[in-house]
Amino acid sequence: MKNIFIAAFFLAVIAMAGCKKDNTTNDQNATASTEQNVLTDFAGVLVNPNYQDIQAKALIMNNAIIAFNTAPNDVNLEAIRTAWKDTRAAWEQCEGFLFGPVEDFDYDPTMDDWPLNKADLDNLIASDNPLGVADIEQLGTTLKGFHAIEYIIFGVGGTQKAADITDRDKVYLASLGQSLYNTTTELRNSWDPTQSNNFTAQVINAGKGSTRFTTRKDVFLALVGSMADICNEVANEKMQTPFAAQDSTLDESSFSHNSVNDFRNNITGVLNAYKCQYGGVTGHSLSELVASKNTSLDSRIQAQISAAISSFSGITTTYEKAIYSQQTQVKNVQAAIRTLKETIEGDLSDFVNVNIKD
Amino acid sequence: MKKFKITGFLALLVLFLVECQKSAVFPEDQYDERLSAGVATVFDATSKAFGAAFPTLSTYDEYVHEKGDQVFSQTFVTAPAPIHSGLGPLFNNTSCESCHHNDGIGLPTAGDNRSSLLMRISLPGTDEHGGPVAVPGYGLQVQDKAAYGKQPEAKVNLTYTYQSYSFDDGEEYNLRTPIYTLSNLYTPISGSYLLSPRLAPPMIGLGLLEAVPESVIVAYADPNDANGDGIKGVANYVWDVTTKSIQLGRFGWKANTASIVTQVATAFNQDMGLTSTILPVENSYGQAQDDGLKDDPELPDSTLNAVKFYAQTLSVPARRNVTDATVKRGQQLFMLAKCGTCHRKTLITRVNVAFPAISNQVIHPYSDLLVHNMGPGLADNRPDFKADGQSWRTAPLWGLGLYEKVNNPGYYLHDGRARTIVEAIMWHGGEAEQSKVYYAHLSKTDRDAVLKFLYSL
Repeated sequence: MKNIFIAAFFLAVIAMAGCKKDNTTNDQNATASTEQNVLTDFAGVLVNPNYQDIQAKALIMNNAIIAFNTAPNDVNLEAIRTAWKDTRAAWEQCEGFLFGPVEDFDYDPTMDDWPLNKADLDNLIASDNPLGVADIEQLGTTLKGFHAIEYIIFGVGGTQKAADITDRDKVYLASLGQSLYNTTTELRNSWDPTQSNNFTAQVINAGKGSTRFTTRKDVFLALVGSMADICNEVANEKMQTPFAAQDSTLDESSFSHNSVNDFRNNITGVLNAYKCQYGGVTGHSLSELVASKNTSLDSRIQAQISAAISSFSGITTTYEKAIYSQQTQVKNVQAAIRTLKETIEGDLSDFVNVNIKD
Repeated sequence: MKKFKITGFLALLVLFLVECQKSAVFPEDQYDERLSAGVATVFDATSKAFGAAFPTLSTYDEYVHEKGDQVFSQTFVTAPAPIHSGLGPLFNNTSCESCHHNDGIGLPTAGDNRSSLLMRISLPGTDEHGGPVAVPGYGLQVQDKAAYGKQPEAKVNLTYTYQSYSFDDGEEYNLRTPIYTLSNLYTPISGSYLLSPRLAPPMIGLGLLEAVPESVIVAYADPNDANGDGIKGVANYVWDVTTKSIQLGRFGWKANTASIVTQVATAFNQDMGLTSTILPVENSYGQAQDDGLKDDPELPDSTLNAVKFYAQTLSVPARRNVTDATVKRGQQLFMLAKCGTCHRKTLITRVNVAFPAISNQVIHPYSDLLVHNMGPGLADNRPDFKADGQSWRTAPLWGLGLYEKVNNPGYYLHDGRARTIVEAIMWHGGEAEQSKVYYAHLSKTDRDAVLKFLYSL
């Protein structure tokens, strides 16, 4: 009798083990296909549309510059400024996943190096050197891109008027706009699935012949690393440097007073990367992958991203003023972003390392 | 009570036995092969693998490392400027990162925003410290960029000639020989001058290499080939600007730099035109391009030290595939070819109680930090202290397998002439001739095994 029980027990164990094994295999297959879907949508739903958006907005800005040069008045100047902020928003959001060609080919510093080399730029404009697009392309990265355009259209303290913009400024501005648009085109093409050597293929073929990513895990690690990097950069560099020095001239977008938007858009980029969403379209996301195995971690990350983004509403003035007059609010934002960064570097990285097998 | 006595006696006995044991290093097989740098190893095989701090840093040390990292990646601009001021007036590039992409090896081009090549220049002969002689109006390095309105010293031109070769089994490889010339000189140079290219090297494990005792490095030197194995190895003794004395050179492609802090200060001064307390004189001093600003030193000591600490605390990526049979076979062949005589697998760092991460660590840099004659093919024919015109420092091979990932597509050797590891091997000559010939005559399977081993580093 006792033996029968034991036998039955063993049978049950074997049966359970058998079931379990099947489940595990199914789980692994399900996870593998989810991982693949996340990679496919990361490229298709987020990166490509985001880069296309930057390019489209850079074109609008370039056209606004041409219109202004034809009819230089304050209304047309305002149109460039609006277009600059729109392009900037799309660009700052893509910094949530700053890996691949944007780094490999220096598209990032070419468009967004900082600080501006104001001393050289003033000398260049005062000289009679040629300022064609080809000449601009040859310049160092601190003499072109977003911040050079920003300096001309906003001026120090944002006080620039259409009447202040000289003919040399206009020639320079036209070349800067065209040069920035050219770079956004290169950036877009670098991921475009219809172009040769596109990076989308590297991502979606990770672990299946991609030369850049020997495993799917490599892409996820690159993505999670980029998300942590931008949090670190916003909280500990972009916000901290002017705040610690109590000097608003050390602020990245100080001419346009656009820094708070820059910071918020960077963290929105982290949200987009985690939730795989852009322009109202969503896809299979890292969030989904995390939630399938660890609901509480997913909830925590989402809550921390939301908290970081909404904390910016505490800053009700320009960042140049906030570092003096809203220090508590600034610290709150930094703390919220640092909390998020710790989670991404810790639990989220661990999750990827443990759960993504290949 | 009795029990206590026995226990006490046993404890004493054990203590006595332990005391009697001679201190010795564990045998090799008791180490984890993956740990290239002891506790300073990081398990990361992504494109960011060269940028990881020591995993064991304290919170404060992490903060300093982070500060250094920020400086390393920031772009400097022409003075006067509210932030990151002091670039130039003569320079090669505008940030550390623009040469050391991803803390790895650079791009072998000159004059572009992403170029990582620079040219050393000197006159024949030696100066009062036994080092290269500065060229009047140029110094010891050609700065090929300048602030707006200033003239760069020269333009560096680089062309290649290509030559195909094949192994015994017919597999082809192609070597490109670079030809460097200067044009657009801002002022003429009288007489002949010596040029030597330098590519930005990877940043990993520098703090550990600095911590290897001088006696260990010197012990491996064999300047007169006393043991008759055809391999010499010379310790380069160089003038060190920080200590104002002759020191053992460890860093740089010819081991012409004694310490990390000197390396960092020199890079700031020569490559970026940023002065510090160690090198407070602009690289353009006395030249037409000098900015005449009385703003030196431009870099605060804290900034210089943060970058020094950053470079000192970059870890080394762990090896991959160490248990793979082919990798093990490749490692055996590497040793049989005597590659390991110079590319020495194991060094041990000195005891440093103040800094446990680099104290008494068994590390595997695959280098002896000595300079060796590599033959006429690779020669720059420009002596640098005790390194003659055909000598180069044994390049550490740790991290080698990740160059392609970190610096897509990856380049090798002092000037990046080699585009693959195979090409780099086939450029070896001089003291390494026998090892190269050994490799070249291996079967395709064995050659691939050697490569697989090198890729595991």
